[in-house]
Amino acid sequence: MRKRWMAGGIALLATVVLAGAAFAAAGASRGSTVTLTLWHNYGTGGNAAATNNLVAAFEKENPSIKIKVISQPSANYFSLLQASGISHSGPDLAVMWTGLFDLKYEKLLVNLKPYFTAAEMAKINGLKWVAPNFNPAKGFLVMPLENQFYMGFYNKALFKKAGLSGPPKNWSQLYSACAKLKAAGVAAPIVYGADPQAIQSSPYPWYDMSYLMGAILSPAQFKGLYTGQVSWTSPAIVAQVSKWVALPKKGCTNSDVLTKTDILGAFAKGQAAMIIDGNWDAATLQKALGNKVAPFVPPFSDKPQQAVVQYSGDGFSLTSYSKHRKEGAAFLKFLTTPQASKIIAAAGLIPDILGSRSASSLTNQMLDFAAKQHMTPYPMIDNVTQSEVVTTGSKQLDDALGGNISALAALKSMKATLDALPAARKGPVYSG
Amino acid sequence: MSSLAVARGHATRLWRRRLTRSLVYLTLLVTTVVMLYPFWYMADNAFRSLEQYQLQSGFSLDSWRELFRTLPIGRQLVNSTILTMGSIALILVASTTAGYALGVLRYRYSSAVFLLIISSMMVPMQSIIIPEYVNLARLGFINHFYGAILVYAALGAPFSTFLMTAYFRRLPEDVIEAALMDGLGYGRIFLQIMLPLAVPAIVTIVVLQFIQIWDDLLVGLLFLQTPDVRPITVGLATIPSQHLLNVPVLMAGSLISAAPAIAVYLVFQRYLIAGLTTGVSK
Amino acid sequence: MLENNATIVLAIPVAILLPLGVALLINSHVRGWRVFRSVFFLPTAVSWVVIGFVAVRFFANDGILHDLLTRVGLGFIHPDALSHERSALIAVMITFVWSMFGTNLIIFLAGMATIDQEIYDAAKVDGASAFGVMFRITIPLLKRFVQFTFVITLITAFTALFSLIFVMTGGGPGFGTTTLEFFIYQDGFAQSYFGLGATAGVVLFVAVFAVSMLQLRLLRVDD
Repeated sequence: MRKRWMAGGIALLATVVLAGAAFAAAGASRGSTVTLTLWHNYGTGGNAAATNNLVAAFEKENPSIKIKVISQPSANYFSLLQASGISHSGPDLAVMWTGLFDLKYEKLLVNLKPYFTAAEMAKINGLKWVAPNFNPAKGFLVMPLENQFYMGFYNKALFKKAGLSGPPKNWSQLYSACAKLKAAGVAAPIVYGADPQAIQSSPYPWYDMSYLMGAILSPAQFKGLYTGQVSWTSPAIVAQVSKWVALPKKGCTNSDVLTKTDILGAFAKGQAAMIIDGNWDAATLQKALGNKVAPFVPPFSDKPQQAVVQYSGDGFSLTSYSKHRKEGAAFLKFLTTPQASKIIAAAGLIPDILGSRSASSLTNQMLDFAAKQHMTPYPMIDNVTQSEVVTTGSKQLDDALGGNISALAALKSMKATLDALPAARKGPVYSG
Repeated sequence: MSSLAVARGHATRLWRRRLTRSLVYLTLLVTTVVMLYPFWYMADNAFRSLEQYQLQSGFSLDSWRELFRTLPIGRQLVNSTILTMGSIALILVASTTAGYALGVLRYRYSSAVFLLIISSMMVPMQSIIIPEYVNLARLGFINHFYGAILVYAALGAPFSTFLMTAYFRRLPEDVIEAALMDGLGYGRIFLQIMLPLAVPAIVTIVVLQFIQIWDDLLVGLLFLQTPDVRPITVGLATIPSQHLLNVPVLMAGSLISAAPAIAVYLVFQRYLIAGLTTGVSK
Repeated sequence: MLENNATIVLAIPVAILLPLGVALLINSHVRGWRVFRSVFFLPTAVSWVVIGFVAVRFFANDGILHDLLTRVGLGFIHPDALSHERSALIAVMITFVWSMFGTNLIIFLAGMATIDQEIYDAAKVDGASAFGVMFRITIPLLKRFVQFTFVITLITAFTALFSLIFVMTGGGPGFGTTTLEFFIYQDGFAQSYFGLGATAGVVLFVAVFAVSMLQLRLLRVDD
């Protein structure tokens, strides 16, 4: 038995020595340039390219600051970020989502107001969605990187073949478009299925929900859903969601709405006429379909749809434990410059600076919905609804769309989830 | 019975045996297809570009180039190796000594301890990993191999101890008694007699733990946050983003990542079976 | 949620019996049995994410399963398994059985290697049929190995299954495939309510402890 203790002792000793060595190494590396760390969860797409190019341009202008960019797994990213706060091994700058997400991590983030001039802040699009209690007077927690859209896409060639001149604008136009498309041989007028290309294989109902709710509530009324003053089971909402879950029965979709895989590919191959998705797939679709593809606002409305979901979806934050706040803030301020906008647009994104245009014609058409057709911009509803309700809804709304339960049953369980939350999570002051 | 009838009976039996044999082969071949299907899927899609994947036509090496361009595959394979080897070494130290204590020496509450070890095998990692993280963070063990190795060892030790205990209990007691008569202490008996006898069980632990630790994502993700120490599974997990997943690149990476675990199995296969044979039998 | 856990436990006998059957075939030492033995274990080295990813494409409505059924003229069945709560759970269970196949097979092959050839020879002399040998001799002698596979399969069902559920169904449709450990992952870990996760972990530990007591009786390693 003594051997065992000795072995344990040696292992412990070795560990202590190693740990000591590591501390010494950490202390020794102090130079004149400041090195910051930036974490993102952007994988290998356009956002990652934009981030790398922004950092390169910033370092060129500020030779005394270096930024080390680290790509983190997107699954579990926020758990990791929170855990790294505990161990102080986290980054100085980190990708952060907006709306209730940044409020949830508010304690980990620095309020950026003191570092920005009023003129710089005035340039930021949708500043309220990154502000504490969604009130920009209280400052803001995230410098948004890009302006995002939840968006429908339709195939103009298929529409023409079916004798349709433009995309549908309300429910009844949608039904007749579905019938005409079916008659013209399009098996799936709107294609639903596993979230396009995502690793988790279930549809994400919140793109559609944003438009379903946008048709009957004003952006300000979304707060009622948060506090419970507007009940998830109120008749208008039940009616909207019931119409949506009836789409498969109306012949508007493919039959396997929950499980069809690679639906983006199906749309790209011209097997489907419409898809509800987001601006991040615009480049892929344009590559596959050229000028046959165009965006449209999902017409889930009795009156012509006037809502467009246009929202500063993600950006960068400065962490509260960062020892280089000034330098980190300098990078975030850099994002408001025209030079940064150019870099962001070149990566296929829309800079979140008021009045920005994009490099892609498809994306510019999306910007025109609010800018030229005077539609009302809405936030992504899943960013301003409690995450527990979003999780319940993701499962239950899917289940309803699949025809297993009624719309009312799905909404009831969302209401139950909201009811079970503590008062502070649905009070007058927004809390993540 | 005429010789003709005998011959006919013989022929029927021969025919029946052939039928059975073909049925056996048919079953095995169908099983082979079912078991190998994911490999075919990975290979079929790894050699396509993203567009070729979406349209399901055409092959190229684009995704392999993309994989090696975006991820330091070599470095991450080395990291995975260090982690896996280090953890297995620690698991072996803990499980052979503990298995010897519980299986051979036995003491008053050894069955109670054994029961606790068995139940701790079934606690989901997700529920204890954060408290564990906090503890190691206080010690400053985050972003160092030894921190993650300690965690892997803690997670892998219960099952390995269970296996070693079972194995040691199978060994004939007279071996130990004879050694005691010869004046050997329990420490020496362990090192000189029990350990050499335990080689098959040790190999079993090595193979099973290798696959487990090599394929793990969560521990690597939390405890090794910087790219220099990141294992390959965490590297691969950085490929998908919130909205986009490059399937062909992920498949190419998964093929590379699966290869070492397969190699370890093929090399140690024979010992693995021998270890399981003695570890569990009787 | 525990109900889903309980249903998944029903997959365990299948996850044991299928490899047992195939092990018996391989153990008849047909030509090439070594190759089969190696091949059948290989999927164990593939990560859960990839297994789940491929399984989704197998069970999808226009997936390979439907393709196969259509080819043999059973296209009208159209399972679309992942769309409905019960069948989604069954699809997850089938995938789970598949992923445990290699490990359990190896354990049984190891078990069969312990059985003395002489016992078989004696049985043959006594005129026992192949089935008789299987049920009267081989399987009873494998009792301990069956128990061992039971432990391993149960552990995996309790601790590792969540990755499979995550990729295949995300716990849906509805809460059809949400098990307790998936709940722990989703609410405790993914949403960063670490305290809640730890609490749910304690609940699961207690549940598991009860099962372990039972297991200890089953296993009774000390004789």
